[in-house]
Amino acid sequence: MEEKIINKESLLNLCKDIIADGNNLIAPNSTEYVLINDVTQLTLESTARPTKASYKTFVFPKAEPVIYYKRGKNDVQLLDVDVNQKRTVILGAKPCDANSFNILRHLFNWDYKDEFYNQREKNFIVIGLMCSFSDEYCFCTSVGSSPVSEKGSDIFLIPLDENNYAVRIVTDKGKEFADKYAKHFTQGDKTKSDEITSKVKHPETAFDSNQVHEWLGKNFENPKWDGVGDLCLSCAQCAFVCPVCHCFDIVDEDYSYTEGRRMKNWDGCQFGHFTLHASGHNPRDIQGKRYRQRINHKFKYYVDKFGEILCTGCGRCSRGCAVSIDIKEIVSNCKD
Amino acid sequence: MDNIYKPYLAEIAEIIDETPDTKTFKLKLKNPEEAKAFTFKAGQFAEYSVFGEGESTFCIASSPTRPEYLECSFKVYGKVTQALKRLNQGDTIGFRGPYGNFFPLEELKGKNVLFIAGGIGLAPVRCVIDNVLDWRNDYKDITIIYGARSVSDIVYKQEIREWQSRPDVKTVVTVDPGGESDGWTGEVGFVPTIVEKIAPSAENTFAVICGPPVMIKFTIPVLEKLGFKEDNIYTTLENRMKCGLGKCGRCNIGNVYVCKDGPVFNYTQLKELPQEF
Repeated sequence: MEEKIINKESLLNLCKDIIADGNNLIAPNSTEYVLINDVTQLTLESTARPTKASYKTFVFPKAEPVIYYKRGKNDVQLLDVDVNQKRTVILGAKPCDANSFNILRHLFNWDYKDEFYNQREKNFIVIGLMCSFSDEYCFCTSVGSSPVSEKGSDIFLIPLDENNYAVRIVTDKGKEFADKYAKHFTQGDKTKSDEITSKVKHPETAFDSNQVHEWLGKNFENPKWDGVGDLCLSCAQCAFVCPVCHCFDIVDEDYSYTEGRRMKNWDGCQFGHFTLHASGHNPRDIQGKRYRQRINHKFKYYVDKFGEILCTGCGRCSRGCAVSIDIKEIVSNCKD
Repeated sequence: MDNIYKPYLAEIAEIIDETPDTKTFKLKLKNPEEAKAFTFKAGQFAEYSVFGEGESTFCIASSPTRPEYLECSFKVYGKVTQALKRLNQGDTIGFRGPYGNFFPLEELKGKNVLFIAGGIGLAPVRCVIDNVLDWRNDYKDITIIYGARSVSDIVYKQEIREWQSRPDVKTVVTVDPGGESDGWTGEVGFVPTIVEKIAPSAENTFAVICGPPVMIKFTIPVLEKLGFKEDNIYTTLENRMKCGLGKCGRCNIGNVYVCKDGPVFNYTQLKELPQEF
């Protein structure tokens, strides 16, 4: 699709317009993706470190009510939850984060459709930003993405110089947005931006995901799993910071003697109680089995089911791990 | 907005105390339109909830051929089942379902059916038994073998009496050695032993088996010795579930979601899965 240019001042004015029009604007600060009310707080650096967590919580909240209830003497009244999501613009999504909705969408829509997810996703505009950051944990290139991947972005920004960004319109949704705010953009062409993206340093490819998939199919039983299991603390931070982990719990919360809400809360497959049966039996009773589930779910089961790797290569799970478990290293070792 | 997490409201029409720690609820969906539109098949399950306590997963224990009530049976184990136990007739609970696949009752037509159940494992088998009995002419010989730890642990006493009173069903009830009481006229012995003793013919026969893992583990070899093919042995798995919709991530065995691709599997399918259940 077409390419435009926006300078920094126009970008700030665009952001002001987005907020003035009643939309949510979300952008990364130095540690997390946050709702922006004051555009002077905006930082938009392609060299920035990835935030601690992805912006998953804005489409799949860490805790959200799915129904409200009121108890009478024998009766119960149910009250619906209205998601009522405003148009939300994510500005400055790393390509690894931008790809997350493409992956999650399958899970929330096979057969049963989770409208809590869908209503939010539908109202999102993802403005991705080329990534010039890379550390020892990054491996987007091993899972079919790259620092210049436009996958999942509606609009993709490439820093041209100190003052200007190339603006690539990727999807129809992106075009509609760019048309609406056309006054902030000038016409661009791909010559310069192509030259810039071609020079971006890519993380080295750490593994071949097809070979990993094949190895996992043959190595459900392998002593390597117990090795990782012995290290892991079962804290599940890896799932919470992940852009595509999606396990959840359903829990009731009373907030008065007669009223409460049923919540859908993030959960994690590394917790021991996650699969614990009422009888005491637990199919994934030791940490090695739980880690095996984590890796298999990401690199085999999800691929078998939906044709997508359940991983964007952002490296957050490893960056944040208290006992330095490095998913890139583990998956790279999924070979004989 | 369609809400896949929103339960139906159901009234507890009757409570049956099966054993000291197992109860059966006869339920009626409160909204007449929902009740009228509701259908399910034998083997499917649902999420039952006490508002303020949470949801719990059980099979639908009644047969779809008897739509007057939806029945569930539960043993008191955790938070939700304890809360369910405290409820009374006339109280309201949440019901979300039906979910999952079902027993291939069409495929079983013209065959003999052998039912083997242990303990509360009779609940998911009972819906199939009653369904098959309501379509009795479509099936050949029907044999039911049920085992409980002791006489006081036997569930569905009334249903068992009905089955035993029918000349066209062979019903054998056994209790574990030491579990018999005075006047017990049934068998004494573990389920695998009794299956071996009764030795139902494997010829043109499908087996439906559900019970504690240890019972299944020792009964399968007996069935294989009797000549049952793995394709012809069906069971239902009861992994821990929350959503029932193939999303929350806990019931999977390999790339199979028990809540969507199951809970009913034949033994060939189970052997192909990673052994993690």
